[in-house]
Amino acid sequence: MTQPSLLGRVVATERRPNTPHEFHFWTGLDSPVGVGTIVRVEGKYTINGQITRVYGVVVEGFSYSDLQSPLHDVLGHDGSPAAASLASTERAEIRLYTAAVLRQIPDEPLQPVPLGEVYLADDSDVAIALRMDGYLAEGARTGIPIGVYHAGGTDAPIYLDADFLMGPEAAHLNITGVSGLATKTSAIEWILSSIFTHFPAQKGSIAAVCFNVKGPDLCFLDEEGTIDDRDRALYEKCGVPAGPFENVQYYAPYKSDGISLNTLRSNEALLHNVTPLTWGLREVLQYAEVLLNKDDVDAKADALIDFIRERIVDRDFHDDQMLPGKRYRVRSFADLEQWFRDLLVAMEQRGNESWRTHHIATIRKVRNRLSNISTRCAGLVTDDGNVGDLPFGSFQDRTVYVIDVASLEEDAQDLVFARVVTKLREQLEKRELGVKHVIVFVDELNKYAPGDGQDTYVRKMLLDLAERGRYLGLVLFSAQQFRSQVHRRVVGNSGTALYGRMDADELATPGYAVLSPAVKTKLATLEKGQLMVRHPHFTQPIFVRFPRPAILRGRDGAERYPQQQDVSLEAAVLRALRPLDSSITLNWVKDITDMYEREAVLRAKNATLLERPADVKRFFKSQLAPIVPSKPVSRPMVTPIRTAPADDPYGL
Amino acid sequence: MTVVLRAAMDQGLLALQRQLRALAPDAALVTDGEQALEHLTPDTRPPRLVGADVIEAGPMRARRVFGDPIVAFAAFLDGTQTSRVLAYVDGVPIVLGTVAAAVRVRRNRRLTTWHRPVVQRKLYGALAALLPAHRRALESLGVPLVDTMTSAGATTHPFVLRDDAVHRIQDDREAAERELAECWCHLEHEPLFIDGSISGSDRVAAAECTVGVVKSHRTLYAEGAALQTIFALRRAERSSVFKVTSPKRMPVASWYLRLRDPVGHDPMWGLVRVEIASPPRIDVGAIGEKADSVSRWILAEAAPLAMPDSRWDKMVYGIRDCEEFLRAVT
Repeated sequence: MTQPSLLGRVVATERRPNTPHEFHFWTGLDSPVGVGTIVRVEGKYTINGQITRVYGVVVEGFSYSDLQSPLHDVLGHDGSPAAASLASTERAEIRLYTAAVLRQIPDEPLQPVPLGEVYLADDSDVAIALRMDGYLAEGARTGIPIGVYHAGGTDAPIYLDADFLMGPEAAHLNITGVSGLATKTSAIEWILSSIFTHFPAQKGSIAAVCFNVKGPDLCFLDEEGTIDDRDRALYEKCGVPAGPFENVQYYAPYKSDGISLNTLRSNEALLHNVTPLTWGLREVLQYAEVLLNKDDVDAKADALIDFIRERIVDRDFHDDQMLPGKRYRVRSFADLEQWFRDLLVAMEQRGNESWRTHHIATIRKVRNRLSNISTRCAGLVTDDGNVGDLPFGSFQDRTVYVIDVASLEEDAQDLVFARVVTKLREQLEKRELGVKHVIVFVDELNKYAPGDGQDTYVRKMLLDLAERGRYLGLVLFSAQQFRSQVHRRVVGNSGTALYGRMDADELATPGYAVLSPAVKTKLATLEKGQLMVRHPHFTQPIFVRFPRPAILRGRDGAERYPQQQDVSLEAAVLRALRPLDSSITLNWVKDITDMYEREAVLRAKNATLLERPADVKRFFKSQLAPIVPSKPVSRPMVTPIRTAPADDPYGL
Repeated sequence: MTVVLRAAMDQGLLALQRQLRALAPDAALVTDGEQALEHLTPDTRPPRLVGADVIEAGPMRARRVFGDPIVAFAAFLDGTQTSRVLAYVDGVPIVLGTVAAAVRVRRNRRLTTWHRPVVQRKLYGALAALLPAHRRALESLGVPLVDTMTSAGATTHPFVLRDDAVHRIQDDREAAERELAECWCHLEHEPLFIDGSISGSDRVAAAECTVGVVKSHRTLYAEGAALQTIFALRRAERSSVFKVTSPKRMPVASWYLRLRDPVGHDPMWGLVRVEIASPPRIDVGAIGEKADSVSRWILAEAAPLAMPDSRWDKMVYGIRDCEEFLRAVT
């Protein structure tokens, strides 16, 4: 084992003293020290029988010479900068660094950092300095590699504590950084890979639900991308296999035509794991308040919606007084519309102003708003009540479930967030989801949980998730460009925070006041693949490098797998049913559906997909109403009209 | 020679005073932060003019140093001293003197310390005038004692004794500088820039590799017209080479050199006197060429400036660096 080389010496003056949380040291001009470097100080004296040892991270650097005034240098070189390079001697110069204390050994009593020798931290020093030794012990290992710390000759993997990343101690992760540097999404993909590889077995199963909110970012997680040797070395250092995710399921709603998937992952070669996401009345009504704003839903309307939810939907309903002889079982928006129509007609005929305390105006208003939902969320919400949904109850371990909402309207996106997260929470509470932990990844948090603006259902839901999710195993991984514009309680509850390259304006906001100017400068100039990490175990932010994900990048994927053009109804049916029965042909579909309306065909297709029957052809046909064949009608004998005499114009 | 700042000195002084108080409670410790003695003891040498023999062709005159400056010096040597009264014991001032000397060698345009610097700390006083118990107390402090009593019947006025101590410290400082310079001459062959005269050591004064540069001009080696010639030197001009001789010192070849434009300053501004080994056989042509060559070496050291030192007009940066280094280690 080679002796560590001396890097510098701790210095302290009355004007610039050392404290228990900060110290200063100088180094040679060529030392491999910079902002973010972790160093070890060896004290000279023992405390409680132990030689003091202090670990710190460089947060500021200074350089100066023995010049008292810049003017002296000008005078010394006769005002000519070129003459300065000819000077026989370089001025004495100092590299003085300020380091923030990461850890002191012994921990007590907490004393100012002693004068001592400074060494570059090696792998074991980094583990101790960041208190990783507590969760990297054999048998109780809960470390999740987040990247590699690099300084001088040291390349040390940095681990997060799974108990503080996934709960129950702390939880949630937030990443911020400017757009367009492939940092935020790449980092999340890398971290998910790392978690899936290193999540401790004793903590149970884990899955991820990712909302793809823009472009093709998350559309090719199961496709291999190219990485270089440097990335490969980082993967190896962190013990994570370099490759795409093995188990990924995609969910995307239809376009408004009801047959083409509204996603950039619509290429036929990739459709094997893409499932249409469609919801009916039952799924939507529970989250009506997501789609209806406060102006729409006053107390009276809310009461009627509750009544419909509790007494109408999925229940046998009859009202012999108002709707004599009629029985309803409302399962779809179409059924609901029929019920509304009958009720309003009956009220108008009878001249009733109210029904069961609900005023006719309120009934009209609720009808209008609810009927509108299937139009506003066309492709996601179906009139016919067929449902394509995430596999709630049978989530698989180490599987990524991507919900592509990138092309959805804002209302529909909100509905998807609200329903999926609520369902996850409900099922995790009951331990019925199929996995013990779920990571929910939401990008563009500026938009969904802004710090200002009116309160929305989605923001409330994200706040609830951030504040109470960790007890359930529901963990929020969020990303945004401007952390300062996200609700404080969402980012504040994120135990782990990552920072990519930052915008200077963002760094000027009060939230970054705790960072030194040098750290801010470094943040503003971070390279791709570098992150600053804050974690509950780390007393100071640490800079790490992470590998480029071995996953096909969104833009490359969109080029390699172009989006499928809109297809005919028959082709869409064929594409949907072919995975269930490979004997189905386009001609068969054409023959079967030729005589039917578009809506009927779609209804049959959706029902078949939902049922996944053994005999696909028979089931599909059974969903189409039988067409009664036409019969030739026998013409009755008709008495011929008598012809009039040619000479009798009156026919007499 | 430089006086080390008080703050750097106090640490050792106070520690010794604490020890002495324990050993000799009746000793009158000086704790009022008195100035270093170098500031209190005036230079008693009277300013004087001494005639010198010109050993270069022709009479004393100004000579232009032609050619670009040449970076030739490999190292710089300087020493420091500081003296402070520790206590008055039996009316005798006991002076703590610290002397140091260092050679700073230049590599890749940066200066680092050559070998080990000399740092000595001693107590100086008229020991014969002390009571035996007090003398033993001083001996037990662990710092070498130096008796400054020159003769048994010498006056015991404390100021005189104090000045004697300072002069002994000055001798020790010169000895430290001499020791290092001789060591350099023994081990190295590249040119060494020495702050001050080289004539105090036979070996150094005769060495080819040493150049002494004197900044103080209490003794001027010219009279009459020759003196006017020296005062009138312009930047990058030198005087004719002359020979400096002294009964107690080695003869050396010397000349005056103006480092900076003196317009608006006193006549000695930017003026240094250079000393090199006197050649055994005077070749009037060769000595002039040598003086030109060494002058170009010295002019190359005019930048960077030795500011903020008040003597920056005559001091080169390498010597300031020596002083800063010694200030840090003493």
